Amino acid sequence: MDCTNKIHVVYDDGLLGLNGQNYQYLFSYEKGGLESMRFNDKEWLYRPLYPTYWRATTDNDRGNGFNFKSAQWLGADLAPKCIKIDLTVDDRHFDQLPIAPLTNQFSNQEFAKQVKIEFTYETATNPSARVKLAYLIDARGKCRLTAHYFGQAGLPELPVFGVRLIMPTLATEFEYDGLSGETYPDRMAGGVKGTWHVKGVPVTPYLTPQEMGMHMQNAWLKIVRDQTQNNADHDQQPFALMIRQTEQPFNFSLLPYTASELENATHIEELPLKRRTVLVVAGAVRGVGGIDSWGADVEEQYHLPADRDYQFSFEIEPAIIE
Amino acid sequence: MQADLKWLDDPQTFRVNQLPAHSDHQWYLDYAETGQQSSSFTQSLDGQWRFAFAKDPQNRIKEFYAPDYDVSQWDLIKVPSMIELNGYAQNQYTNIWYPWAGKIYRRPAYALSPDDLQVGSFSQGTDNTNGSYVKHFDLNESLRGKKVRVRFEGVERAMYVWLNGHFIGYAEDSFTPSEFDLTPYLKDTDNVLAVRVYKHSTASYLEDQDMFRFSGIFRSVKLLGQPKLHLEDLDLKPRVTDDFKTGIFNVDLKLQGQDGQVLIKVFDAQGNLVVDERKSAAERVAVHDIKVKDAHLWDNHHPYLYQLFVELRDQAGQLLEVVPYRFGFRRVEINADHVVLLNGQRLIINGVNRHEWNCRTGRCVTMADMEQDMATFKENNINAVRTCHYSDQIPWYYMCDQEGIYMMAENNLETHATWQKMGQDEPSFNVPGSIPQWKEVVVDRARTNYETFKNHTAILFWSLGNESYAGDNLAAMQKFYKDHDDSRLVHYEGVVHTPAYRDRISDFESWMYLPPKKVEEYLQNNPDKPFIECEYMHDMGNSDGGMGSYIELIDKYPQYVGGFIWDFIDQALLVHDEISGQDVMRYGGDFDDRHSDNEFSGDGLMFADRTPKPAMQEVRYYYGLHK
Repeated sequence: MDCTNKIHVVYDDGLLGLNGQNYQYLFSYEKGGLESMRFNDKEWLYRPLYPTYWRATTDNDRGNGFNFKSAQWLGADLAPKCIKIDLTVDDRHFDQLPIAPLTNQFSNQEFAKQVKIEFTYETATNPSARVKLAYLIDARGKCRLTAHYFGQAGLPELPVFGVRLIMPTLATEFEYDGLSGETYPDRMAGGVKGTWHVKGVPVTPYLTPQEMGMHMQNAWLKIVRDQTQNNADHDQQPFALMIRQTEQPFNFSLLPYTASELENATHIEELPLKRRTVLVVAGAVRGVGGIDSWGADVEEQYHLPADRDYQFSFEIEPAIIE
Repeated sequence: MQADLKWLDDPQTFRVNQLPAHSDHQWYLDYAETGQQSSSFTQSLDGQWRFAFAKDPQNRIKEFYAPDYDVSQWDLIKVPSMIELNGYAQNQYTNIWYPWAGKIYRRPAYALSPDDLQVGSFSQGTDNTNGSYVKHFDLNESLRGKKVRVRFEGVERAMYVWLNGHFIGYAEDSFTPSEFDLTPYLKDTDNVLAVRVYKHSTASYLEDQDMFRFSGIFRSVKLLGQPKLHLEDLDLKPRVTDDFKTGIFNVDLKLQGQDGQVLIKVFDAQGNLVVDERKSAAERVAVHDIKVKDAHLWDNHHPYLYQLFVELRDQAGQLLEVVPYRFGFRRVEINADHVVLLNGQRLIINGVNRHEWNCRTGRCVTMADMEQDMATFKENNINAVRTCHYSDQIPWYYMCDQEGIYMMAENNLETHATWQKMGQDEPSFNVPGSIPQWKEVVVDRARTNYETFKNHTAILFWSLGNESYAGDNLAAMQKFYKDHDDSRLVHYEGVVHTPAYRDRISDFESWMYLPPKKVEEYLQNNPDKPFIECEYMHDMGNSDGGMGSYIELIDKYPQYVGGFIWDFIDQALLVHDEISGQDVMRYGGDFDDRHSDNEFSGDGLMFADRTPKPAMQEVRYYYGLHK
């Protein structure tokens, strides 16, 4: 397999493997999503990558009842369900997904220039909405991820729409090109454009843990780790992942916790020990508001109505450590 | 006179033998002392005091103030500090409801009927924890033979004072200085100062601020000696001519003591002498209408201060006392279009509400805390502060003069639980209301706030207090300010609930947390008063979104003055957590305190440890737009 300008495609019974010189992707049909993303032998996923709809309740959300009104989205966030998978390898679209026994027709000598795999989810809401995550992977292992939320009438407003990528170990630092500090759609006038370097994965010490750490309008984000969970990996050298904008700048938060972990703590010290890194790349972010904390809603233009489509994309690739 | 426990129950008894409030000037023996800001007329009593705690008045140690009472086995407590944070009484945080809600049924005296005295309400209150403090001291050499008073700069909430076994006085009003003359009973050595502090009295009704409910001697205690001729009160009334080019210097002095001379000198910042007056000492000495040409006016960008020295000399010309005071010339007014002007220019308030807070010591804050807060103001384009909802420590006012921070100097008053019930106006037993027996106590709070701080250039507005409904008694407070001070505006927000008083209370239309669209509706409708948001942008947790909608109003409507963000610093307490082994922030409800409003006081632009929240960059940006 000296083929460096093509993807080695493994049509396995429950998995689709995409392999190259320095990358490996495993898409799980059972889990309904991207299960493994390995660059230079370093794993970047702890659990499959899924859409995310919930952000931890802020004090103002609680005051105006937003957490009650939109509580369905908490359930949707915790319980993803994949209902459809579409695969296109180069120009070949599989009308039937290549699972056993269809996989028997393949060999270990399957190659492609480009693979597109799309996962469609239904949300645990009533009525349910549909979300599609489409991965487009090229021969060099670069992945372009496009997330699409299909508007559905009759649902409460969304707290956020994004994808959540949980990494097995804690990042040591990150760097991004975007606005300074913690920004939200209705709180970004003071953010200064620039390249910002952050040590560790800080948690903003709000008295009660709540939604935190959003960064709006970024061109790129580089996340550095120096540990894996691979028992045979004794290397301590830092390694990094790069997220880049495609058409539009992207928004992200990088925290040691998921929204539901934040949701459950009444004090910072009740949060779990920091051990993983949770990246949320968010296409649509609800504002945080601030007129008062006992009833005032976020200003109208910073709401995310559920009957509207939301789509965003970004690219993932290994980064060079300089 | 003997102390009477029943004073705790009586809203008409709030000061006994207390010296009248006066200006907050300091006095020194000579110029060398003024340079060092260390006066030989001052003796600090801060430090370790003997202390005994009692869970209610019935369990107090009755004769502890007797000079021969042995307190050598008592605990030691640091003065200043809060009793609760020394572990004696439970920490409790409640916002609106009184701390006794659901535990003790109380109504304010006279609130339901004129003959309802509520005898025993606090004097027999089973929740009325109290501390007995004893300080033994020798008088510094420099104070011996002089008239000496004691000044308590802040005591929550009601206190009785004895010296050498003699009852000296009683005071309420937790956040303003209380002074008592000690001279008749003072010895050179072996003095015993005894103070009993009760957590509750009728003052508790007036001090229902949204904060941790503490008690104790939480600000400094000082002995103040006075020379044979002494300046008791300094009343500066600097004015500015209509063309804003000339300052007009006025001063009224109240003197105590023997005959002598008074020299009044004012220097500009370059050291030029611009006022030089000499008068014979008398009980009252006044100098009026002295013109200071080409005066440098004071504002946020150029907090230009002139230096006053008042020298008191005896007949032979010997210097007895020198009083320095720095002041600025500035003029605040509302023009015919209802626009607030400072020195003829439109005034814009980019303000914050600031509680006195330290996560280790509660409302006992240090100079370093204040200096850090001031530096944070400057870094983030904050140009104004509302002293919510009480009078602050004296040095803060001097710092605001010096740094050009506009002040809304608020009275120590908040009574929301008497009229705001579960979000609804329900004033069936509200105080102070229009109840005659509650009038003098609130006018006294206005008077003390005024007399103490009247010389501070930074104060542009007096504020009658916070969320105390409105009635004849609030109107009487406004009248006090209008009768005594024509150089500042008066603010009170709560009158929006009682339109009948609108013409008698507040120069401003003020409605806290009114959404930008509603503010705009007011401004579009031929406003007859300028609008100010005395509290806005509630910065609880992760918020402060949408601030731009308020800031846009500044450009569109000259009658919009701006506002004060609620608030500057999270109120939370740093506590060692046995489980994690870390020092962590605790808030209401974390001390088994019920009822509690939990993290609701975590609404600062700063975390409780004085690091800025992420939203601060937003404030810096928007406040920088109209700098």
